[in-house]
Amino acid sequence: MKDRAISNIRRGDRHITTVAVIVVIQAIAAAFFLADAVVDISTGELSLHIFTEMLIAFALLAGIGLGAWQTAQMIEQARHDADALAVARGAASQLMDLRFRQWGLTDAEAEVALFSLKGFEVAEIARLRNVAEGTVRAQLTSIYAKSGVSSRHALLSLFFEDLIEIEHH
Amino acid sequence: MEAPEVQTRRWDPIVKITHWGIVGVVICNALLVGDGSIAHIYAGYLLAALLALRLAWGLIGPASARFRSFPPSPMRAIKHIGDILAGRKEEHSSHNPLGALMVYAVWTCLSVIVATGVAMSGPPPSVEFPISTSILVSRDEHGEEEEGQHEEGERGHGGESGVGESEEALEELHEAAVNLLYLLVFLHIAGVAFEAARSGRRTLTAMLPGGK
Repeated sequence: MKDRAISNIRRGDRHITTVAVIVVIQAIAAAFFLADAVVDISTGELSLHIFTEMLIAFALLAGIGLGAWQTAQMIEQARHDADALAVARGAASQLMDLRFRQWGLTDAEAEVALFSLKGFEVAEIARLRNVAEGTVRAQLTSIYAKSGVSSRHALLSLFFEDLIEIEHH
Repeated sequence: MEAPEVQTRRWDPIVKITHWGIVGVVICNALLVGDGSIAHIYAGYLLAALLALRLAWGLIGPASARFRSFPPSPMRAIKHIGDILAGRKEEHSSHNPLGALMVYAVWTCLSVIVATGVAMSGPPPSVEFPISTSILVSRDEHGEEEEGQHEEGERGHGGESGVGESEEALEELHEAAVNLLYLLVFLHIAGVAFEAARSGRRTLTAMLPGGK
């Protein structure tokens, strides 16, 4: 789950880097073009050629400005998302701790419940905790009984119910 | 549970690309190509573009890249030195106050270098292909011409000698600013090394690709 979240962030970073590289190339192109155009414009008379150069210069600068502004927005959004994700993670783990204590889960059961909520199967949990699959199944049954649900989906939905607020308009 | 692994990145790609681009140009023009060569002039324009973009980024970029996040304030720099002496470590979301002074000094220095360079060279010279690398990187006839003009000016009328003198003044200013830049670069590297030793490797890796 976490790997997927991080790979999403990496993909976002790559996208931002690509746009940033294009903005840098545009800026370099603009510097060389402007250096030429300024000489033409300052020495030449107002001709179609100079008018065209001014138009191109304007388009280039506007493009850079807009591209840079959009890049800045993307970077700010990515930072905001990363912060929000961290806050949500903290909140989710706090809520789990609270519920596990309320239900009176043992430490072992709390760990199994956490693995189960993170999407691990019985066999995987057994391997991770170095116990028999039967033990994990027994622990899950106990967890469901203490929390008053009958399946993993129902257990998961107990948390989502608390974390997701549906707004009524 | 685990602490969130996703830390906020301090330097965005534009800051990193302009930083290393400028490093590249300075190395190129200081060590690799001849003074006043065609390659030197083109690299100079590249520097101008990167510097202009970084300065514009200081106005419209994300928070950590904006001038507002690192005002040039001697008072804050002094307070920061006090923090260092007292062994206090503060997290700065952008440049630390001493680093900020360094950044503005470097930008001023680079601006003088670009302005005097452009004043001496004019627009980028046109290059006809194919061209040999030796012409590209050596003091070409363009430079020799200027030398010739100097001599003529010195020998000739007062007006022409005025042009020669202003050209010479530009060249001296260019070189003085470059020497000052070398000093600033040395101080910058020393500062980063000191900060890395004081508060950890993150200072070192922050400006690298993928660094935070």
